[in-house]
Amino acid sequence: MIIKLALLLVCTAFAVFLLVDFLLWLAIAALPNILTQVGIALFILAAVLLLSAGVFMILKLILTALSTYLSTQQRLHRRLLFSDAKQQQLKQLFYFRSVQLNYFNDLKRKNLLRANNKAHLKALSAAINKDLKQLKKELSTVHYQQLQQTHQQCLKQHDVNALLKLQSDIATLNLTDDV
Amino acid sequence: MTLIKNWTLNVLDAFHTFKDEKLTWKSNNQAREHQLKHAQVLAEKALEAELKKRAVQIEHEILLLKTQNDTDLAMFKTKCKQDIKDYKQYLNALDQLKKSIQTSYTHLPEAVAFTIHHHAKHLLNQMWEAKDFEQKMRHEMQLIQFMSTIHEEAHHYLADSGQSAKLPEKTLALIQKH
Repeated sequence: MIIKLALLLVCTAFAVFLLVDFLLWLAIAALPNILTQVGIALFILAAVLLLSAGVFMILKLILTALSTYLSTQQRLHRRLLFSDAKQQQLKQLFYFRSVQLNYFNDLKRKNLLRANNKAHLKALSAAINKDLKQLKKELSTVHYQQLQQTHQQCLKQHDVNALLKLQSDIATLNLTDDV
Repeated sequence: MTLIKNWTLNVLDAFHTFKDEKLTWKSNNQAREHQLKHAQVLAEKALEAELKKRAVQIEHEILLLKTQNDTDLAMFKTKCKQDIKDYKQYLNALDQLKKSIQTSYTHLPEAVAFTIHHHAKHLLNQMWEAKDFEQKMRHEMQLIQFMSTIHEEAHHYLADSGQSAKLPEKTLALIQKH
């Protein structure tokens, strides 16, 4: 309706301008000035009306969008989406918690094994030390120190196979000496 | 002047005809329009009810899932604790086994006792880390067989008062075999 009115005003303004031209052609001096003012006023009024119609339409659209957003249907739909996301989150949380539990359980078990390995390596090292001390008199100082150094190095590196080989070598040396 | 008057009257007439047609169409379709509006309202209400029902259902499912997850996690925690306890017991049993070998074979080198103990631990870890149930059972059988062989040999050695072989030969053969 407002747009119709604005268009009507524009048409009237054009008609007034045509009338002004016609009056000027007829050489009537007084009326054209007043009619030009009226035409301009009609144009401005039409522009103001169009602008207000635009603002009104934008406001109407905003209000419609807002009412749709706050409508029961949309609220329920959002609530459903939220619940669905929560359900997925719970499933993920359970998975990650079980992975975490598994990880810490494995870590605890490995710590137990490491402590046990350390204790038994210590026992083996003590046995090697004892054998080496027994052989100290029969071995040259350089050889003895070399064996001690190898022993310390293997112990530091927790090299089980090397320590076992060392003990076997020392046992062989012991047997040779006995022969 | 008459031409302009006629033209204006024609335009007005056309305008009125257009208005009349519009009104006639509206009065003809009013019942249908009303029916459609009513159907739309009903459909909206039905959708709302469905959405409400689904929301309640999901809330219930979430509650169930939470309870299920809590129970499962508590059970898993207990299982983990029991696992660690069992592993500790196994390690202690293997330590005892080593001590019993050393008590039986008094002159047994530490390296041999260590190798036997180390191998038993290796079998234990293989059993523990096996993902497949069949594999786990196979490793468990190997460990049991290994431990029983050690006990048997130590028992025989003590029964013979150290007259038999000075080393647990059967156990060492098993280590070679594995």
